[in-house]
Amino acid sequence: MHLKEVNIMISKKLAIDVLNEMLSTGADYAEIFYEDSSANGLVIENGKVSSSSFGITSGAGLRLLKENRSVYGYTSDLSKKGLFALANSLNKSFNSERLIKVTKLEKIKGKNRNVITKSYDDVPLQDKIDLLREGIDEIETNKDPRVVRYIGSFGNNHRRVTIFNSKGKYFSRETEFARLVYSIVCADENGMETGFEGPGCQMDMSFFKDKAQPRKVARKAVDTALLMLTAKECPSGKMPVVIGNGWGGVLFHEACGHPLEASAISKGLSCFTGKEGQYIASPIVTAVDDSTIPNEWGSIDIDDEGNPGTKRVLIKDGILKDFMIDDFNGRRMNREGNGSCRRQNYKYCPTSRMSNTYIDNGKSTPEEIIKATKLGLYAVSFAGGSVDPTTGEFNFGCSEAYIIRDGKVCEPVKGATLIGKGEEILKKIDMVGNDLAFGQGMCGAASGSIRTNVGQPTLRISEITVGGRGGELK
Amino acid sequence: MKFDKFFELAKAAGISEAEISVYNSYSLSVSLFHGEIDSYSTNNSSTFMARGIYKGKMGAIVSDVYNKDSAELFVKKIVENASVIENDDPVFIYKGSEKYKKINTFNKELLKIDVQTKIDKLYDLEKKIKEADKRIVEIETVGYEENSSSSTVMNSHGLKLTQKNNSFVYYGGAVAKENEQVKTGFDLFFGNDFSKVDIDALAKSIAKEALDQLGGYQCDSLTYKAVLSPDVVKAFMSAYISSAYAEDVQKNSSLFVGKLNQKIASNKVTIEDKPLARTIFARGFDDEGVATSNKAIIKNGVLVNYLYNLTTAAKDGVESTGNGVVGGGSKVYTSTLYLEMKPGKKSQEELFKEVGNGVYITSVQGLHAGLNPRSGNFSLQSTGFMIENGKITHGLDIITVNGNLMDLFNSVTAVGNDSKEFISGMKCPSVLVKKLSVSGK
Repeated sequence: MHLKEVNIMISKKLAIDVLNEMLSTGADYAEIFYEDSSANGLVIENGKVSSSSFGITSGAGLRLLKENRSVYGYTSDLSKKGLFALANSLNKSFNSERLIKVTKLEKIKGKNRNVITKSYDDVPLQDKIDLLREGIDEIETNKDPRVVRYIGSFGNNHRRVTIFNSKGKYFSRETEFARLVYSIVCADENGMETGFEGPGCQMDMSFFKDKAQPRKVARKAVDTALLMLTAKECPSGKMPVVIGNGWGGVLFHEACGHPLEASAISKGLSCFTGKEGQYIASPIVTAVDDSTIPNEWGSIDIDDEGNPGTKRVLIKDGILKDFMIDDFNGRRMNREGNGSCRRQNYKYCPTSRMSNTYIDNGKSTPEEIIKATKLGLYAVSFAGGSVDPTTGEFNFGCSEAYIIRDGKVCEPVKGATLIGKGEEILKKIDMVGNDLAFGQGMCGAASGSIRTNVGQPTLRISEITVGGRGGELK
Repeated sequence: MKFDKFFELAKAAGISEAEISVYNSYSLSVSLFHGEIDSYSTNNSSTFMARGIYKGKMGAIVSDVYNKDSAELFVKKIVENASVIENDDPVFIYKGSEKYKKINTFNKELLKIDVQTKIDKLYDLEKKIKEADKRIVEIETVGYEENSSSSTVMNSHGLKLTQKNNSFVYYGGAVAKENEQVKTGFDLFFGNDFSKVDIDALAKSIAKEALDQLGGYQCDSLTYKAVLSPDVVKAFMSAYISSAYAEDVQKNSSLFVGKLNQKIASNKVTIEDKPLARTIFARGFDDEGVATSNKAIIKNGVLVNYLYNLTTAAKDGVESTGNGVVGGGSKVYTSTLYLEMKPGKKSQEELFKEVGNGVYITSVQGLHAGLNPRSGNFSLQSTGFMIENGKITHGLDIITVNGNLMDLFNSVTAVGNDSKEFISGMKCPSVLVKKLSVSGK
């Protein structure tokens, strides 16, 4: 495999020399992030393999910090000449005496929680095609004539990262990820609807044999799309909403997760700035960002600045306790990074990001929550959402929802968007279930697109604004 | 950079036609926070994409590096990837168009302006936003980004095409606060002519965006006559026109299936793809090397063209419209290059007057989740204003707009003359729609 044959690793000696060149004008921190990653992608469209791709992401990102200033640059030229040229163009930002000289680099090791027993590089392409085809067969057997387009894709990523920094530390991380996606388009005389399911993991193929079987995943995607074809337009207005477990956690991710990243908090640009120790949610809400869950999609062993991934209790019984913090933004907060520093790849300057973010289990059962709701919406699944961390205004779009009447789940509805303000919504959670589950997604922000889990148990919001074309809720 | 070895090895391995694209880019970005530079980044990068046809199927590879071992690896991966393809889509490595329009989107003058001059304007921008109004309590960020790139496509037929371009953007975000209500505003200025930069105007616009939203509250949930700002029209137009991509039409997942030469929108709607217009987005050839052309997609409400790449064109027995996009895999996608809605004659004030009583929607959020381009349905968080007796009155807060793209473009009754160009390569004015469902109270 070429990645082992081609010797483009940065040696410790070269790293020390480059770090010292970077530090020569008075920076107080320097870092070299070297990456050599590859990705494979397979697509089966309407029953036939339509695309197979391979990509290499390889280069180095150099970062310099001095007090509250950050300087970043990247290059794919990993020769001594290339790295020195970049180091020199970056250190021109500062104009002081050298503060640090690096003399040695000590290796730090993570806990190695996210072990892959068999690399995807050793899995033949045909095996990946066969796996994907299991779901395609499920769709094609007794295929509903309303299914007009069906796409299955399987992608895997192999990241090899080595980081050297001016704290005199270096470490390597090798991680592999894989994701299986089925995307369906159904149509009838009433219109067109889509279904999407995309489980992913940070472990080997056994995940797709045990936890996310292609047949079940594909079936769910088709069933959701067909159901939405029959669904009426969602009513609009303010109403109680029961949010399903798993992907329902995108509520917390948008309403609360982004505003609790140090990049917003440290600059006073979050609706939660200055609210540590205060109630920001209902007292039955405890919420966590946990990088330590083995083999989970968003888990990190050691973050991009050498801090170990940790479990951060963000909210405990409604009270704001902690944030996602990276060293740089932490400077404005008088806090050190707590293992939240991430970036998409070497082309991005890293910053505080989420990992596996979820609302923890409560005391009710999902059945109790539905039964206790006289008239409202049951939002099971979501397509995604977005937030303005400063105002706290967020939105998320439902891909599967039902009306609840007299404590029973009734007809499906489509086209619902839930909107609101983070601070208000968290306080309106009045029942929390005990069926915590996760959903995999890609989160986009300043340091690029990264893998994150969202998660929660079934829970109820006593009142939230629902946008829909179906008139008033009756 | 010489790719002879790649083409030789490709031929020897049985790859009948091969292509390499090289994309080089240089970028600079600077941002200020509280009067100090808080981030500075300068980067050089290259991306190499190789494609090849092996036994009638396309294989591809994309890489950030091209070194002495790459030719062999590229050939190996192309063969490996092509060998698993099953579908019968015709694939092409293009021999070349007869004629290419010469495009110049590279401004040498931009290189002559030193970095400090560019950064100095940021201090000015930050100061002017803060001074615009005492209710501006914070500047989220102000920044400058500059990008210059060149892309070259070369293939085994001897085709070689190159285009260079550069551009910059100044941007800023402000926070306004009044009576416990907090609102943010953001705007940007982009182009490649530095002499056109007007920091005063940009500062005013950023502040206004934030300030205008103060004092907003929810309106009743109703169907209203609405004016949509250019920002909102752009968001909808982009999703709507994606139904014109031949691939989605051929696969029955488009709103425009079977509608060619039929009236699908109001006769006030004319939307064109204009890659040869004199803009910084101009392109003489698409990613497959096909010469581009200006074309109407919707003319006075009638769908007149689908958009094709070489593969989808062959399937319909027509010529490619020069809208092919190569993403790094073996499949070729489709995209518009410069999408423009033809402006009308009315000012925004005239549109408000024509509405009488209704809403003015200024932005929509969460498009990736709340708008489905396949079904056309949308339900989106929005901002805007109430229009009462032909004039803007109060701001609107925490509302959604809901509907379907087909209905929306069918209910356009007037088009404004206030065309705005967007950094995503689109241009459109405000429009008046006779009905829009808004969810509030």
